[in-house]
Amino acid sequence: MRRRTLLAGALAATPVAAGAATGCSAGGASARTSGGRTTISYGMWDQLQVAGMEKIIKAFEAEHPKISVSIQVTPFTSYWTTLKTAMRGGSAPDVFWMNAVNLQLYASEGVLEPLDPFIERDGFDMGVHPEELLRMYTYERTRYAMPKDFDTIGLWYNKELFDKAGIKYPDESWTWDTVRDAAAELTDPRAGVHGIAAEMSRQYTYYNSIAQAGGYVIRDGRSGFGDPRTIDGLRFWTDLIDRGHSPSQSAMTDTRGRQLYLSEKVAMNYDLSAMASQMYAEPAIKDHGAVAVLPKGRERGTTIHGLANAISGKSPNTEAAWEFVRFLGSRKAAEIQAREGVTISSYEGTQDAWVKSMPEFDLKVFTDMLDYAVPYPASKYTTVWENLQPQLLGGPFTGKGGIEDASRTLGRQMDLALEQEK
Amino acid sequence: MAVFPSTAGAQQAERRLRNSGRGDGRSPAGGAGAGAKGGRRSQRAAYLFIAPIALGFLVFYIWPLLETFWFSFTSFGAFGGNSWVGGENYERVVRDVTVGRALGNTVLYMVMGLMTLPVAIVLAELMNRRGLRGVPVYRALYFMPFVTLPAAVGLVWNWLYNGDFGMVNEALSWIGVDGRYWVSDPSTAVYAIGIVMIWSHIGYYLIIFTAGVKAIPRDYYEAAEIDGAGPLRRFFRITLPLLSPSIFFASVICVINSLQQFDLIFVMMSPENPALGETQSIVTLFFKWAFDENSQGAAAALAFLLMLLIAALTYLQFRFQKRWVHYA
Amino acid sequence: MPEPAPVTPAAAAAVATTRDPAAPAAAASGRPARGRRFDPASVATHAVLSLGALAMIFPFLWQLLTAFKTMPEAVRVPPTILPEAWNWAAFEQVFTAVPFAEMLTNSLLNTAGRTLGQLVFCSLAAYAFARLQFRGRNLLFAVFLSVLMVPPQLLVLPQHEIMMKLGLLNSVPALFLPGMFSAFGTFLLRQFFLALPRELEEAARIDGAGPFRIFWSIMLPLVRPALAALAVITAMWSWNDLLWPLVVNTDPAKAPVSAGLISLEGQFMTNYPVMMAGSVIASLPMLLLYVLLQRHFVQGIALSGSKG
Repeated sequence: MRRRTLLAGALAATPVAAGAATGCSAGGASARTSGGRTTISYGMWDQLQVAGMEKIIKAFEAEHPKISVSIQVTPFTSYWTTLKTAMRGGSAPDVFWMNAVNLQLYASEGVLEPLDPFIERDGFDMGVHPEELLRMYTYERTRYAMPKDFDTIGLWYNKELFDKAGIKYPDESWTWDTVRDAAAELTDPRAGVHGIAAEMSRQYTYYNSIAQAGGYVIRDGRSGFGDPRTIDGLRFWTDLIDRGHSPSQSAMTDTRGRQLYLSEKVAMNYDLSAMASQMYAEPAIKDHGAVAVLPKGRERGTTIHGLANAISGKSPNTEAAWEFVRFLGSRKAAEIQAREGVTISSYEGTQDAWVKSMPEFDLKVFTDMLDYAVPYPASKYTTVWENLQPQLLGGPFTGKGGIEDASRTLGRQMDLALEQEK
Repeated sequence: MAVFPSTAGAQQAERRLRNSGRGDGRSPAGGAGAGAKGGRRSQRAAYLFIAPIALGFLVFYIWPLLETFWFSFTSFGAFGGNSWVGGENYERVVRDVTVGRALGNTVLYMVMGLMTLPVAIVLAELMNRRGLRGVPVYRALYFMPFVTLPAAVGLVWNWLYNGDFGMVNEALSWIGVDGRYWVSDPSTAVYAIGIVMIWSHIGYYLIIFTAGVKAIPRDYYEAAEIDGAGPLRRFFRITLPLLSPSIFFASVICVINSLQQFDLIFVMMSPENPALGETQSIVTLFFKWAFDENSQGAAAALAFLLMLLIAALTYLQFRFQKRWVHYA
Repeated sequence: MPEPAPVTPAAAAAVATTRDPAAPAAAASGRPARGRRFDPASVATHAVLSLGALAMIFPFLWQLLTAFKTMPEAVRVPPTILPEAWNWAAFEQVFTAVPFAEMLTNSLLNTAGRTLGQLVFCSLAAYAFARLQFRGRNLLFAVFLSVLMVPPQLLVLPQHEIMMKLGLLNSVPALFLPGMFSAFGTFLLRQFFLALPRELEEAARIDGAGPFRIFWSIMLPLVRPALAALAVITAMWSWNDLLWPLVVNTDPAKAPVSAGLISLEGQFMTNYPVMMAGSVIASLPMLLLYVLLQRHFVQGIALSGSKG
């Protein structure tokens, strides 16, 4: 109620912006803008993507001379708290990065501008972005953000360590059993090498295996951690630790799984597509590193997550903001982004540039996996039950306590947290 | 430094006082200038003197205290506004297993914190040795950790504890002991943090006890020595009983401080540390709820629980002090 | 009217230490030194104390040594003790990786703001409570004392709300504003004012000096040791405070080093030399202050107890 009045007030107070926006949607510059340029702010957190974003903004401003965009970078560690307080104080950026973890919270609290009216009015084809991403950014059948990029998880392996152990490289035929056998063969205590890094990580490891086991993390507002199949998905990892084929989670807190892979101390590691450029920058891994699709459990599965651009519900420049968001969701912007090689653009058919940017790696596996990708699970207060996971699963991932009990406790606590959301 | 007014004024006043010989040696405390005129003037002045800090307290302490109480019965909207939920937050505090574990950990921190006291007492006694040289140097060194930034302390110890390259494991390997991942192993992490806690507070209690030990008259020791009491006997028969007021004071402070343990845990435990559940204290949990998970209402309830705990333990300590504290 | 008894043990300790200037002197001189005779007990005492002292400073030494190593050398097993080559790169990297210079400035401003605030506000109130008679004095003082008892965490949420409403989140004033007012400081200084003789004040009053003049030019100079102790202790707590900065200033460029070091950890999970260099620089100012003003630290600590 109060929000709407505030919004109305803000809109009434900025006739210039409103005029500019109408001019734009009417197709180009208009005299009604009182000669003013509309400046919109764009909030993001990744310093690595600033250069690419500046190129995209340049292209956008060339097409829309009446709108200029200024970037506001906030480090990820403080991005969400800053955004939240900025929202309360009414100083949030007009357009900003959104992730799956926070979408439902922001959408349900009404601080995001619904995109449907604009999409329908302009006849914008959202079908160019992967279905799973669109679902991730839809809340109660309303679309709230424009997909920007995506990540899937692949099996990164070290060819040299495989050669040494005399094992065939991973491919589509691999299953959990193949992974277990290979991990055993590849583990060489004398060389300090483990077969695999079974790190306690939602996105990189166990969310994938949970999907592959036929389990789930959250469904219809209930936790899946009490489900036997979900537990199977977790046990896939804890077994690897218990058998000594992976360092324990304690070791991987001091030195992360990715670090171990980069320094050739583990032969296999489940990791993000976005890490490709970092792997590529490491000479040893550029030579010995390779990537395959995730091995199959009962089913195939990989976690997909992507960022999206959302418009603040409190923005006084909604029209200009939409113009920018629409441009960010276009082929042109996606191609600029793809050429930067940092992330995979979500726009259909623009991924090739990224795939080809690192010919030593078979990056096509990441887009191939889209067919069975599972969206990153979320609810309104995702962080609450995400925070419960390391606390309750930490024991089993360090070889202390059974995974079944831990997972069931987690399920009960998570349900308790989910009840609070209602 | 400009902050401190010069002593010139005071000296002048003193001189004038001496000259006029007006000092009548009245009781120093309490009896304010009773003269009616001066009284009203000083009354007005008193309010002016107190006004700034009273205003600050009202805004930043007293009002917030009342507000927290109200918060503990509400649920916060993520983007402002809160609604009444009655006792739900307290219910959550009771039902949440993480609270139980955090409470257990906090008590464990308290127990470990109290273990600092005997160490500090022994050190104070050792430093009190007659004719011992270099005591100021020792005291300075022992106190250093306490002045150091907790964040820096946490980082350094994490580095020492590192399971792969840490100095602790290296030192253990010299004596043939296998190391571990001290801060990320759920069975050792809480003790690893406890050791750092003790390490950084020894100097603090040492200073309190040094003051206490010095106040014990030398004659007692000399008399005991003449009676043939050995050092151990002197320690238990003279030092400990006469030090008991200091020990009492230190233990009250120690309980309060260790129940509020936050800095070290926050710095040393990364969010993906598998030992997180085993090391989380009430205050780190409070921080997480309040600023990470948008559960400010429940966090406020948790903070009240902590306050009750502190109040109860402090009360108990005062209650039982008669049994063992000897005021000279 | 009897002299008000100290309300907390902290104050009792305060009064005890300040009123007994002879004690340390007596301990130091004790009796004539026993000469250079070999004393096994003394040697044993030294051995124990030195071992403890080594444990106390080893982490600092190791931190310093690591800061000068290169990353590959820092993670070598077994570790080298002295760096192969002393290189300063890590110290420079700290400043480029995070806005470290800004953080140091923020810490400095935060420390200065809180310390000055406490010296001014607390001494004024303490003087009034100790030396002036006014209606409601006991009640007000009881309220002040109750503030002393409240754990700081209890106030963090509303204080954060207040800062947000004032539009001060991610600003330097947010760091020091609530910390300028301290019940502890008031309490501590009050104990000192109580101990001063009444005559000075009365002489001045008869000479026509007003209450503020008496406070400023006569009474305040007499409690200088207490002011110094309060200043030093407040400075230490302010420099080292972590929870409050984490809450109000999430922007690294507005954070003090106490919180900023953590963003260094986030960014350099594995670059130990840089992390150690950051830790060294961040803790150096307080260590220096401590070395220079040790006496005041010791006195302040002996007087304090709860966080200021």
